[in-house]
Amino acid sequence: MRQVLGYTLMLLRAYTRDFTALFFGFFFPLIFMGLFGILNFGSFGHVAVGIVDEANNADSQAFRAGLGKIETLQLSSGTSDAQLDSLRKGDRDIVLVIPADFKITPARQGAVVPTLTLYANQGRGEQVAVGSAILTQVIDQMSFAITQTAPVVAMKREEVAGRNLKYVDFLTPGIVGMTIMLLGVSSVMFSFVVDRQRGVIRRIMATPISRRSYMAAHVLERLLLAVVQVLILLAVAVFAFKVSIVGSLGLLLAIAILGSVLFLCLGFAVTGFVTTENQAPAILQLVTLPQMFLSGVFFSRDAVPAFLKPVSDVLPLTFLNDALRQVSTAGAGILDVGRDLIGIVVWSVITFVIAFRFFKLES
Amino acid sequence: MPPIVSVRELRKSYGQIAAVDGVSFDVAEREVFALLGPNGAGKTTTVEILEGLRQADSGTALVAGVDVRKDPSGVKERIGVQLQQSAFPENFLAKEIVDLFALFYGRRVDSLALLRAVGLEDKAKAKSEKLSGGQRQRLSIAVAMVNEPQVLFLDEPTTGLDPQGRRNLWELIRAIRERGTTVFLTTHYLDEAEVLCDRVAIMDNGRIVALDSPRALVTSLLGRGFSKPVQQQQANLEDVFLDLTGHALRED
Repeated sequence: MRQVLGYTLMLLRAYTRDFTALFFGFFFPLIFMGLFGILNFGSFGHVAVGIVDEANNADSQAFRAGLGKIETLQLSSGTSDAQLDSLRKGDRDIVLVIPADFKITPARQGAVVPTLTLYANQGRGEQVAVGSAILTQVIDQMSFAITQTAPVVAMKREEVAGRNLKYVDFLTPGIVGMTIMLLGVSSVMFSFVVDRQRGVIRRIMATPISRRSYMAAHVLERLLLAVVQVLILLAVAVFAFKVSIVGSLGLLLAIAILGSVLFLCLGFAVTGFVTTENQAPAILQLVTLPQMFLSGVFFSRDAVPAFLKPVSDVLPLTFLNDALRQVSTAGAGILDVGRDLIGIVVWSVITFVIAFRFFKLES
Repeated sequence: MPPIVSVRELRKSYGQIAAVDGVSFDVAEREVFALLGPNGAGKTTTVEILEGLRQADSGTALVAGVDVRKDPSGVKERIGVQLQQSAFPENFLAKEIVDLFALFYGRRVDSLALLRAVGLEDKAKAKSEKLSGGQRQRLSIAVAMVNEPQVLFLDEPTTGLDPQGRRNLWELIRAIRERGTTVFLTTHYLDEAEVLCDRVAIMDNGRIVALDSPRALVTSLLGRGFSKPVQQQQANLEDVFLDLTGHALRED
């Protein structure tokens, strides 16, 4: 045990002198996060409007049909409670309540006019401004078309504090997952292929250290590195990009370690089929690139084409990203991500068996 | 005194090729013993069996009183090795390499003293991959000594070194023998075997074809009526080279 820990510490110290590994392991993911964080994809595009139609009469339906023609608006409808809940979660920019007495008729002096209520998501000023301007315009147009007069409905506005998911909030768990994958697979593949080819492992096996202790130190070193790396990424995300991590940090780290075990196993499994240094980069791309694009690192998996969906659904990184993202952005507990955790464990077992069968310390 | 290395009828085949084909010999304690032969003669395979790195197909080998087949890690505890094609892990300083290997033997050592013994004290803080060929060979000898071995195995230790580097390594090997360690080396440099070794075994096609002291081997050859066609020179080109460039070790 003292041997394993001592060796682990010496490996870590040597790692800090490996500038290439430090760059790709630590700074590369940060650059990714910075780049995508600044670009801030998905900041605008549409205004999510939730409609609560309490009237459900000819006029309200005509009004909704009018709204439906406007591409900027992404409409959904439902009960008041459900829509307001979505608003608070940040899934809606505006919730519009159409009152039961909604109708468009010529105004009479002194009559009470129907009043629409617009709940505005405080954190999405831009979307709310655009959305409410569109809504007002639609009402005005309908009023003129029917009554040739000024609007006969009023609109009152209420501000609601929603928990808004910024793109970088979505991105951060994806980057963490990607980093765990890249570090896990590449740190195993490159160092073991090189050490095997150069005879480093052979020289060490000429000493009495057992294979088990040797492997244990290398795995432990990489798990510790993964934890440090995840902590650095999260720290940068929280302090530099104001990412809010909703769920438990402990659970997030536990999932990260589990994911790291999975990708180390995958690394050893794949390294079983790599014999020379030249093959390593190609095999690394083959294993990691599909997962970078199909497992929801940068974009939601909704964008994955239907025919690739079955593949995307079962990729190792998909389970890890889903679990990390649900904890980080929606505050999921361990039971909520149970399905993903099972996916990670199943993949770990599969890759471990392959690694056990094909990975050799010596060529 | 029983021999420190005792080999009987050792055999090892790779497919149809018998790399080691019934080899037997003994090495006495504090001897410098060389396995000599052309490339592919089976030297490295023989040595790696003795080091516990390969399993023989048949035959027995006792090293420092331990049966290699039954207890390879027991042998590894008692010997020091320098492998022919091997390297140290990258991004470790020379001193750390020594400490690392000491850890593999479960020992703590004075790594600076070990580096001093091979003339590498001033390279203690250099990365091992930045050392020159000769320095790397000396580092690997320092590493091979971390467990105070009873037998030191050196597989072609001077291959690729310049004449100064070779002579320096010879001095080192003699010093190690003076401290009571048996040295078992392989080489294909005949002059090296002649100046360093108490006894040499000449190996060819997996078999030992001669085994004696260098002087006795030469005497028996001459006794068979052998004579060199050219007149013996009093100096050779290597003497010229060393005379012009000096014996001092180059730090390249």
